[in-house]
This record gives sequence, C-alpha cells and structure tokens, in this order.
Amino acid sequence: MNPIIRRELLDLLRTRTATAAMIALAVVCSLLVLVRWPTGGVSDLNGARSLQVLRVFGYGLLAGVLFLVPAFPATSIVWEKVNGTLALLLNSPMSPWSIYIGKLGGVLGFAVVLLAVTTPAAAACHALGGMSAKGGVVLLYAVLAAATIQLTTLGLLVSSRENSSDAALRTTYALVLAVVVLPLAPYWFLQGGSGPEVDLASLVRCLSPVPAVMETLGNTGVGDRGLGTEGDVVPRYLGLSLLTSIGCALMTVSGLGRNPLDRSRPAGVMTQDRSLSGRAARRIFFLVDPQRRSGSINLLFNPVLVKELRTRRFGRSHWVLRLIALCAILSLGLSYIAVSGALAWGSQSVGGVIILLQTFLLILFVPSLASGLISAEREGGTWRLLRMTPLSAGAILRGKLLSVAWPVLLLMCGTLPGYMVMAMVEPDQFVRMQRPLVCLGVTAIFAVLASAVASSLFRSTAAATAAAYLIVVGVCLAPFLIWLGKDSPFGHPTVEAALACSPIAAALGAADFQGFDGYDLLPLNWWITGGVSIFLLFVLALRTRQLCRPE
Amino acid sequence: MSKLSEYSKTGHKSGGDDVGTGTDELVVDIRELSKKYGKFTALDRLSLSVGKGQILGFIGPNGAGKTTTIKILVGLARPTSGTATVGGIDCVAAPRQLKRLIGYMPDTFGSYDGMRVGEYLDFFGAAFRIPRRTRAKRIDEVLELARCPKFKDLFVESLSHGMRQKVALARTMLHDPLVLILDEPANGLDPPARIEMRQLLLDLAARGKTLIVTSHILPELARICDRVAIITRGRLRAIGTLDEIARQLNPQRTMEVLLTEEGAVDRAAEVIRRHVEAGGEVTPSPTESAVRFRTAKSDDAIAGLLGELVSAGLGVIQFREVQTDLEEAFMTAARVGDAEAAADAAKAGLT
Repeated sequence: MNPIIRRELLDLLRTRTATAAMIALAVVCSLLVLVRWPTGGVSDLNGARSLQVLRVFGYGLLAGVLFLVPAFPATSIVWEKVNGTLALLLNSPMSPWSIYIGKLGGVLGFAVVLLAVTTPAAAACHALGGMSAKGGVVLLYAVLAAATIQLTTLGLLVSSRENSSDAALRTTYALVLAVVVLPLAPYWFLQGGSGPEVDLASLVRCLSPVPAVMETLGNTGVGDRGLGTEGDVVPRYLGLSLLTSIGCALMTVSGLGRNPLDRSRPAGVMTQDRSLSGRAARRIFFLVDPQRRSGSINLLFNPVLVKELRTRRFGRSHWVLRLIALCAILSLGLSYIAVSGALAWGSQSVGGVIILLQTFLLILFVPSLASGLISAEREGGTWRLLRMTPLSAGAILRGKLLSVAWPVLLLMCGTLPGYMVMAMVEPDQFVRMQRPLVCLGVTAIFAVLASAVASSLFRSTAAATAAAYLIVVGVCLAPFLIWLGKDSPFGHPTVEAALACSPIAAALGAADFQGFDGYDLLPLNWWITGGVSIFLLFVLALRTRQLCRPE
Repeated sequence: MSKLSEYSKTGHKSGGDDVGTGTDELVVDIRELSKKYGKFTALDRLSLSVGKGQILGFIGPNGAGKTTTIKILVGLARPTSGTATVGGIDCVAAPRQLKRLIGYMPDTFGSYDGMRVGEYLDFFGAAFRIPRRTRAKRIDEVLELARCPKFKDLFVESLSHGMRQKVALARTMLHDPLVLILDEPANGLDPPARIEMRQLLLDLAARGKTLIVTSHILPELARICDRVAIITRGRLRAIGTLDEIARQLNPQRTMEVLLTEEGAVDRAAEVIRRHVEAGGEVTPSPTESAVRFRTAKSDDAIAGLLGELVSAGLGVIQFREVQTDLEEAFMTAARVGDAEAAADAAKAGLT
C-alpha cells in the first residue's frame, strides 16, 4: 500500500473527529428517510415522495462536496512544503506519481468513506419505490464521485503551486467558483437560440457539476426558464470532469517533478532605483506601482490590518484597484444585459438574481478569507511573533477582522450598479431592496465572525476552513433543503421556521423573490442572526485573548 | 548532597570577575523557577542571573527545559512557582512592558509571504510603536548591524535559511531591547556567516546588551559566552565561566607532560603515579612522548612533581593543564543529571 495513503487516510480514519463525522452523517441521512417513510398502508407508486427526499439529500451532498472537499487537497501539499516534509518525500525513492497518488488517494478515500456512509439512506429512498432511471441513485453517486475527483485534483494542483495554506485555500475556492458557476453563465444567456456558440455554451455548461446533479434529480438546469434540455448533461459532465481531472493531475505531477521547493522570487528593480525617465514611465502606467517601496505603516492604522492586506495577494493597492475595475466592468455588463434584453424579467427577478450572486460570492469567499486569520498564523509559527509584540489581543483581532471586512465590502459594492439599474426600471422597488441589503450585510457579518471563530478554534487551516464552510453553509443554505420539501413533506410553519434561521432566505423573502414571498421572515431573522453574531464575537474575543495569554 | 546539587539549588553566582565584558548590574534574575505540565516537571527550582552586557550560553540536551525557561522569560508562559524579572520588570505581572525590553529570536523564522524584508521589519516596527520618522532609519540600522543591508527589497519567502537568520536577528534588534534571547542563532549558517554572527553578538554585548544564547554548537558558544548555564531534566546543573564549570563538575584537572624522548615516557609515568592520589588516572602515550594524568592536588603539590621529574633527569619540554572544553563539561553535566534522575526514580520506586 502506498505509504502516503496509509499515513493520510488510515490516521485520519482513526481520529475521533472522523468517527463523529461519519456517525453524524449517517444519522442525518437516516432521519431524512425516516421522515418520508410511509406510515400508513398506502404506497407511493409514482416515486414522487422518494424523489423529494432524494432531492433534499442530493443537493445537501452536492453542497458538502463543493464546500468541504476542496479544503483538504488545497492544504495537503502546501502543508508538507511549509513544514519541510515535502523535501523528505521528494528525496525518498517515491516517484512524483506515487506521491501524487498517495495524496489523491488519501483525500479521495476519506470522501468516498463519507459518501459511502450515506448510501444506506439513498438505498432506502430507492426502496420507497417508483424512482425513475433519471432520478437514479447510482447516477447521483457517480456524478458526486466525479465532482469529488475533479475538485480534489484541482485543489492538489493549487496546493503544489502555492506557498502558504491560506493562499492555497483562497485560490482553490476562487477556482471552485470558476468551475461551478462561471460555465453556467454563457448558456444562461444564450439558451433557446441556435448556432455554434449555443452548442459551445451548452458544452461549457457541462464543466460544472450543478446541471448534472439537477438533471439526475429530475430538475431542469439553473435558469432554464422553462426550456427543455437535451438530457445528455450527465455523460458530458462525466467525460469533461475526467478530462479536467487528468489535466490537473498531469500539471501537478509535472510541477512536483521539477522543483516545487524552489521559492525564489525575483525582487525586480525598485522604482526608486530607476532613472528619472523610468520612474516617469511607471508613473503613467501604474496608478499604484507594485515595484515602489512601500511607505512606513502609519501608526494611526492598525499594523495587523496593513500586514494582512500586504501579505494577501489581492490585498495590495494595485490589486484592489484591478479588482474594483473588474467589478465595475461586470456590473456595467450586468446593467447592459438587464436594460437591453431582460426587462421582461421584472425588477423582482433582477433583484433576486443580484442577491443570489452576492450571496454566492459571500458564502464562497468569506470563509476562505477569514478561516486562516488565526489558524494560518498558528500553523506557520508567526502567532508567537505577534504575541511577542506589545499589540493587545483586541488590536490583533480588530486588525484581522477589518482585513476581511474591507475586501468583503468591496465585493458587495461591486454589485451595487445592479441595484441602480433596478432603481431605473422601477424606482419603488429600490426602496424595497433596502431590507434585502441589510440582510446581506447581516449575512456578511455572520459569515466573517463564524469563520473567524473556526479559525481561532483549529490549529490547522484546512480543518478551520472545513469547519467554517460547514457552519456558514449549514446556517445559510441548509434551511433551503427544508424549503425544497415545502408543502410536502414539510408544512408551511416548519419551512417558515427553518427559513427564519437563514439570512439568505430572509433576503430573498424581503425581495419578494418567487418561492419566498409567502414567508414572513423579518425581523425574526435579524434577531436570530444578530444574536448569534454577538455570541460569536464574544467567543472570538475570548478565544483570541486566551491564545494571547501566557501558557 | 553533592557540591553540584548544592550549587544548583542556590544557582546564583556573582557577575563579578568571571564576566568578560559585563558588569555587576543584574538584568535577568530568575529565582526558584518551577514549571509543571500536569505531573511532568519541566523546570525544577531554577535560579540564575545575568548581568548587563553579559552573554550567557544556555545549554542542555533536547527537552531539558531551555525553551520553557525562555518562554517564561519572554512572557509566553507562566511559571508554576518562582519569579523571573528582566530589567526589574516581573515577567508574569507586566508582560506587555516586558515585551519592549526583550528581543526574542525563536528557532523558527515565522515568515509572511508576499512581503519584502523592509515591509516585514516595518510591520514589527509599527507593532512596537516606533514612530514613522525614525522607523525607516532604524530598519536601515538593524539591517546594517545584522550585515544584510541589501536584503531590504527581497521577498521574505525567497530568503535562504542563513539569510532568514540574519533578518530574524534584525527583527529582534528593531525595538532596541535591553535583553536579546536568541534560540539557536547560528543554526544553519555557513562558516563565514557563523563567524559574522559571532562577531555580531560580541558587538551587541559591547554595546551593553544582555544576551542569552542557546545553541547545540558548543565550541561556537564557548568562544563568545562570558558564562554558561547547563540545564538537564529541568534542573540547573552548573553555571559560571567554563573553568568554574569544569571545577564544579569535576574537581580533578587533567595535566599533560611532554617529554623530549619517547623512551622516557614509562619512567615519567612511574614518577607521576607515586605522586597522584591512589587510583589516580595516569595515561602514558609513547607515540606522542607524553603522559596525561588527572589529579585534585594543589598547585604547590603539582609544582613539586615537576621538580621531581626534572631531578630524575627526564627531559620535560612542556608541563601544562589541559583545558576542559564545553562539550566535555556538558557531557559530564548530562551524566550527573541522568544519575540523579535514576537515583530519584529508584527512591520513588522504593517509597
């Protein structure tokens, strides 16, 4: 047996956490089936009831795969690099392929074990009867397994290229966003048409596991707007995911084969050391010159905030400006699309889409930004240096939280032009969108605090990230699984109570988004989320203070 | 109780004449310091002091309690009992004040990727509230002092191990601390860099800085330290200059007699055996034309022996005391520590 698989998988399976995760998953899945198990003497021959349960459970598993799986491969190789053990592995008789297969096997093995724990519940769904081939359990698991392999190989590729755990996590999750959401966009706009660009968009869409899972569960694709799909999404996805996985594996192994430990990074010529003409030229081309020596940190600013922004690839001023420009371009594009061709959607639809976009960005980026705030410092040995400075625990915490709040604010502001378009379409709606905006703000605060708490509780960034996603996705999106079963199996009061816990559902409800307009979720949700956020802030402050104290 | 044990209990030794560049003014004062983790005793009533401008070599095998002592001194850990002060500031009562007095260089570098060296130092300077106007100048000064002024624009993650050590030292000196605590500063350095580091530490001591240096490269440490403290199993086994330690650990000293002829070695050994204590160790070495012996006798008695050797017509060309090196002292201390621990364990077993 590959010794890396043995070390990574068997050691992981022996831990109490792994046992607890498996038991919890098995219990949750069993409860889902129990809720829908027929109690009377009537059997549901058309399989609608079993499909309802399978949908709840299938989307839950997909969310788990998308949000939890990438954290482990993303930190797998980079962790070895930071700790110096990758050099030992590369110096052993093991080939880069054996190391890669060991790493891949370790992560996939655990994911497979977790998926396997859910199979008895899936089998019970099938046993409820009447499930069509389209809603087949086997196909669902095949798609989920392909998604796991695709995201794991992607995470390992990033991990082999990055030099720190938190950078690897951020890049991996950004790429997960790119793989899962971006391929859907061209098809969304071009569907219903004909021609090679539509065929291409249809193919590109199959890079994402979302349409494949939706087809397997008998739903139409995202934003299909009532148009039928070809029905060949699943085989296309399986083929494309296999190809992308192989591509990622080849790139990773070739990177391992070269020299992944060579961290040389040319300093370049500093602008101040250039000639007058050189300095003038750079002044024209760069609004903020990355090759210019940074000024000293102003003592009015929190030094931890400045440090966090400087160490983050996209935190530096020149990158922030580029991101703002990108957001502005995207917003203008959205405005153009909304004004030119989609007025028929109505302002509620536009508002709902913007909220969903912001939500997705928040859920995807905030945990990856905030989950390494403290854990990455502890993992990398710099926490001790921070503790050796006269900075108080409060100052460290403020700097860290502000360093996440700033990019999140920029991210949110990037989509504001969409609201302006909406205000133009229907001025009354703009006033009504203020409540959803407050909900999104509350979501952002909750996500930042929950992720930061996870970061303070775990020493490993990967574990902290997985925990952060679990909390954020659990609170924000898990109630949607109950919502999927609205009317049957869950009644209106149950769905309303569940949705009141999710700030995203509250935002959609406040925007009168279709399907959420019948629920009265505010201000209850604000009270719940606000209360939980205050509690999280308290825990975070306490934990940071504890970590700063002498042992 | 052995002399060594008695010594380790009091632990204090005046800075006085055994200090090369230092003064009597105490900067670091540790008294009866103990630290327990559950049932495990990491530090057992450790007492020692370091004067201003002194370099104290703090040595011991892995797991001896060096890092625990350092952690308490820098305010990262609390002692179970006892006190530790730096510059008169209690390490437990005023940890924030303490941080301005101490520059600590841990054995791991602690790198922030994506930052240039200048930015890295600027961050720590800002964290220590060094005003902006003086900070840039101070960064240049410490980089110059650490002999790495050209590193300022390099990215931290691209530095080699030796370069990182220099930057870490610059970081440690940034806020001009009174005491520098350096954990393995010469670790991973090439010979020229090691010589530079040695000179740098001596320069810092000459500027009045107090240094506590841990290292496993004992000959290196022996060349720079005014005093050495040896700790094993959480207890201080010896402290003082190298000669003092050698005498504490072993009252016998090693003498060497170098003769003109190889054939005279056996006769010389006979004469020496008559003079040294019963069971005294005498080692003739015909190939070197030398005889080595160990004795606890006084200087007068040894002078008498030399006279007798000369009267016997033996051609003595050298008669000298062989200096004990730090490695030997360390190994003796480690053995004493092991023996004490074994005795304690046996005693505990009996009760």
